[in-house]
Amino acid sequence: MNKTFILAGALSAALVGTAHAESVLKVALNADIRSTDPGVNRDTNSDAVIMHITEGLVAFREDATVGPLLAKDVQVSDDGLRYTFHLRDGVKFQNGKPLTSAEVLWTWKRFLDPKTQWRCAPEFDGHGGAKIVDMSAPDPLTVVFTLDKPNGLFLTSTALPECGGSGILHPDSVAADGSWKAPIGTGPFRLGDWKPGQYVELLRNADYSARDEKAPDGYTGNKSTTLDRVRLLVIPDPAAAKAALLSKNVDLLIDVTPLDATELAANPNVRVTSSGTMSVNALLFQTRDPLLKDVRLRQAIAHALDSAQIVEALTGGRSKANNSMVASGSHYHTAVEDQGFAFDPAKTAQLLREAGYKGEPIKLIVNKRYAAIFDMGVFVQAMAKASGINLELETLEWGTQLERYQSGNYQMMAFPYSERLDPALSFDSMTGDKDKEARKVWDNPDARHWLREAQREGDITKRQALFDQLHQQMIKDVPMIPMYNGNAIAASRDYVKGLRTWPVSKPRLWTVSVPNSGSN
Amino acid sequence: MFRFISQRLAMSIPTLLLISLMVFAIIRLVPGDPALLMLGDMADAHSLEVARASLGLDQPLPMQFLIWFKAVLSGDLGHSITTNEAVLPLILDRFQVSAGIVLVSVLLAALIAVPAGLLAAWKQDSALDFGVVSTATLLLSIPSFWLGLLLLYAFGIKLGWLPVVGYVSFGQAPWQALSFIVLPIVTLTLVELGAITRMARASAIEVLRLEYITHARAKGLSERAVLWRHALRNSFAPTLTLIGLILGNLLSGIAVLETVFTLPGIGRLMVDAIYARDYPVLQGCLLLVTFVYVLVNLLVDLLYPLFDPRVKL
Amino acid sequence: MNKPLPVAPEVLLPAPVRAPRAWRVPPLNALIGAFLLGLLLIMAALGLVWTPHDPLALNLLARLQAPTAAHWLGTDEYGRDVLSRLMIGAHTSLWVSVLTVSMAIIAGTFLGLLAGFLRGWVDRGLMMINDALLAFPGILLALGLMAIIGPSLYGIVFALSLAYTPSVVRVVRGTVLSLREKEFVEASRVIGNSELYTMLRHIAPNCVAPVCVLATSMFGWAILAESALSFLGLGVPPPAATWGNMLAASRPYIATASWLGLFPGVCIAMALLAFNLCGDALRDRLDPRMSK
Repeated sequence: MNKTFILAGALSAALVGTAHAESVLKVALNADIRSTDPGVNRDTNSDAVIMHITEGLVAFREDATVGPLLAKDVQVSDDGLRYTFHLRDGVKFQNGKPLTSAEVLWTWKRFLDPKTQWRCAPEFDGHGGAKIVDMSAPDPLTVVFTLDKPNGLFLTSTALPECGGSGILHPDSVAADGSWKAPIGTGPFRLGDWKPGQYVELLRNADYSARDEKAPDGYTGNKSTTLDRVRLLVIPDPAAAKAALLSKNVDLLIDVTPLDATELAANPNVRVTSSGTMSVNALLFQTRDPLLKDVRLRQAIAHALDSAQIVEALTGGRSKANNSMVASGSHYHTAVEDQGFAFDPAKTAQLLREAGYKGEPIKLIVNKRYAAIFDMGVFVQAMAKASGINLELETLEWGTQLERYQSGNYQMMAFPYSERLDPALSFDSMTGDKDKEARKVWDNPDARHWLREAQREGDITKRQALFDQLHQQMIKDVPMIPMYNGNAIAASRDYVKGLRTWPVSKPRLWTVSVPNSGSN
Repeated sequence: MFRFISQRLAMSIPTLLLISLMVFAIIRLVPGDPALLMLGDMADAHSLEVARASLGLDQPLPMQFLIWFKAVLSGDLGHSITTNEAVLPLILDRFQVSAGIVLVSVLLAALIAVPAGLLAAWKQDSALDFGVVSTATLLLSIPSFWLGLLLLYAFGIKLGWLPVVGYVSFGQAPWQALSFIVLPIVTLTLVELGAITRMARASAIEVLRLEYITHARAKGLSERAVLWRHALRNSFAPTLTLIGLILGNLLSGIAVLETVFTLPGIGRLMVDAIYARDYPVLQGCLLLVTFVYVLVNLLVDLLYPLFDPRVKL
Repeated sequence: MNKPLPVAPEVLLPAPVRAPRAWRVPPLNALIGAFLLGLLLIMAALGLVWTPHDPLALNLLARLQAPTAAHWLGTDEYGRDVLSRLMIGAHTSLWVSVLTVSMAIIAGTFLGLLAGFLRGWVDRGLMMINDALLAFPGILLALGLMAIIGPSLYGIVFALSLAYTPSVVRVVRGTVLSLREKEFVEASRVIGNSELYTMLRHIAPNCVAPVCVLATSMFGWAILAESALSFLGLGVPPPAATWGNMLAASRPYIATASWLGLFPGVCIAMALLAFNLCGDALRDRLDPRMSK
């Protein structure tokens, strides 16, 4: 009799003991991830998830500069051709094996292998910035990359989330035949369950080797987490996601529209945070169009728009007008880049007279998929009309508009540029030779030259000077009118602590803490 | 009968083939391809080339079609370009959602409409008849998605009785699932009620007239009862045809309703696939939808002789 | 046994021969239908020359206002007057409808006569294509075509006519086939008229009645289809107003500005009701000439 009681008591004690409280965060994803292979078959959500699992040699800091992550430090040779990474000691992979230069080399060899189809391979194999001609590991904690020419963007490119942060993987991530299995990285979370179409789960990496800093710093710094589990639920419909947040089925929405944000902010149980990103919403001109090739007409349109008022209406005051390709959140954005197009209807009238504009209709392409783009077109049209400029909205479907953008077949279009984390990348997205690439908006030989310099140059002061030059020339040439930088708006329940949005816009869930709940 | 079925199925193959060709051609004529959509504004020439090659889009068009067709014959409908999921389980999954709602709605509508139509025909030109016809005509005239929006507003937002968004499969949580599909089913039922009632009434009137003329001299309630049975059975055939047509068309036309109620059905899948230029998913969906359309028509034709003895298989 | 798409379902049936009743005033359905239709036409016509406010004028300070004295039906998300937009919307929606139905009828009648007259492989080939078009989901066809052509009013008309022509072909061909062997057609041949003459003089006019009835249904379908396309993102492109795209645009504001979705829907329902009632009345009147 006594024995039974003791047994029962022990059993229940054991049960109570094992049912320890877990810290679980539920997040809504607006689409399923495409793969767990960093930088391969990727999209925004896949990048966001993989950046929790793997870490690269360097990564973006909170202020969007690049700093060491797995590396202890990085040394660049004087000629800019050799990058020496000294790895941190004692870093372990999620399978317990130590990080050495061998794994770094293995990862990078695999990235550059065409069979892997790494999204960023063209960046490093000669198609893009500079070619990696040699990678070597002089000792287990040192890796040396040698480029064929100096490239100020080399480190930035390796850190880009769309490259998966060039996360270093352990060879056990692939099967014997080279096919992908699952990512074994060094990050604060490891990959748990992935039910395609439903959810992805991340589990805390109990053996995470954190950096020495006290606090997280963007994608680097101390990324220790208190969360035991993160469940990312796939909820494609924004209205459904909102409802899930309100009913506590999810704790956090990482991508909220401005309209929903205003509505959610009124709810006492919901906290809304936002910060500017480096995406650019712009008005593009086709400078080879018979009508728009006259720069005076383009300038006239630019001065007819009160950018401040338009942006205020579009973003509910969350963004400022920014007529520069250098994002407001970038540390390269100075007083020079603040100089934009002044709202000057008198000047517009004068320019229109000079250009001999007789009210010919100009087609402005918009789409309904991105509400901000559509609304921007509506406001721009209305303002231009007030100055006598006849813009006609042409609403295309997104895929069709992309095709017209790609082929340069348009007069004007309202276009959303996805985020570029360095001004050189931003300028590169729209500057180029139109004969070679029809999608480039700005075809100016000087600009192309300065851009190449900026890509090559590593020195911050020199780069700033080049970006200033580029910006000032852009204001003169008016190939396009950047309007504002986007916002990353997150909405969370009030018990979610530690959430911060940042210019790089991707979520960093290791900073988040939630109260412990019973096991889910 | 077996020969009839296999003959019909065989005859449907050219239709399936033609439709596959049509959707193949149309979707490729639409500007923008999946590679471009994937890369967006980061599509430099080299990346585009690589992406296109990986999707098999660099092959000549007839080659692409043949490759796809050959795969279909062996049961492989390919993988979605946007989500990488296998197409066949994906479309079957979504189809289940749509089919469930459509079938239940049409069944409910028929259960209410056929007796109502019969009753109205029996009491033709009475106040009841007038009421039934007016209601049916009114219901027929209300756009389904508007009705859906109104019901959503009334029951979801104003009264808060039912959830406004989301979906849970029946297998996972029956009661919760019910709360999500009540409104769409009610909407669809109301809309189909109009058409089916009118058809049932019209065909019943016609049959009753015949029977009336033939049995004009008959007297007594028992005759009436016989009339009733005859009328119901013989007048049902055109209603059956109508139901078949409604079913066939609803399955593909349900996209808007699914948008209003945010249901993960096949209508939305097709629309999303067009916007994302997800060729494999779109082609797979069309195959499935057409096949169902053929099946429904076949079923109607098989059942028709049960109700209209003049027609032989 | 495949029949054309129904909405006014009795199109599938030959109209019942009513036991003759005492004379009736024009039946109630015709009266109401005509009244509603007249109302809509007046609204459309009026909208062409006068609206309470400029339907395209933005007023960001007066967005999403409930109905007031200044704006009888409120303002939309850009501050535009809803009533004015409804009025020009009437014009656009009805115009899309009329164009679509006209094109579908012209094309469908021609092809139906061709198929019914020529028979043989022309008939078989046409019917195979026809069946495929009928089986092809209309929404997708319209979406695909419009993505190719580009969203425009005429693009929608083309896409919808293509979707509806097969129904007309079916009806016309069916009528032709059933009439071919009738006595008066035989008689015409016996007299010595050519097949073509017989066709045009005797058979074609008898197709008018069923086609007319089908047409009244198609007017309604076209308005519905345009609204559906707007919901899916490809209706008549803004800033032009159609009832459909007004209804679609109201969806994000369903909780905060419910009137935005109410009024366009009422207009669409009214139009559909008008067409249905007129179609009923028309069918009742024409039924003596509809042969089985």
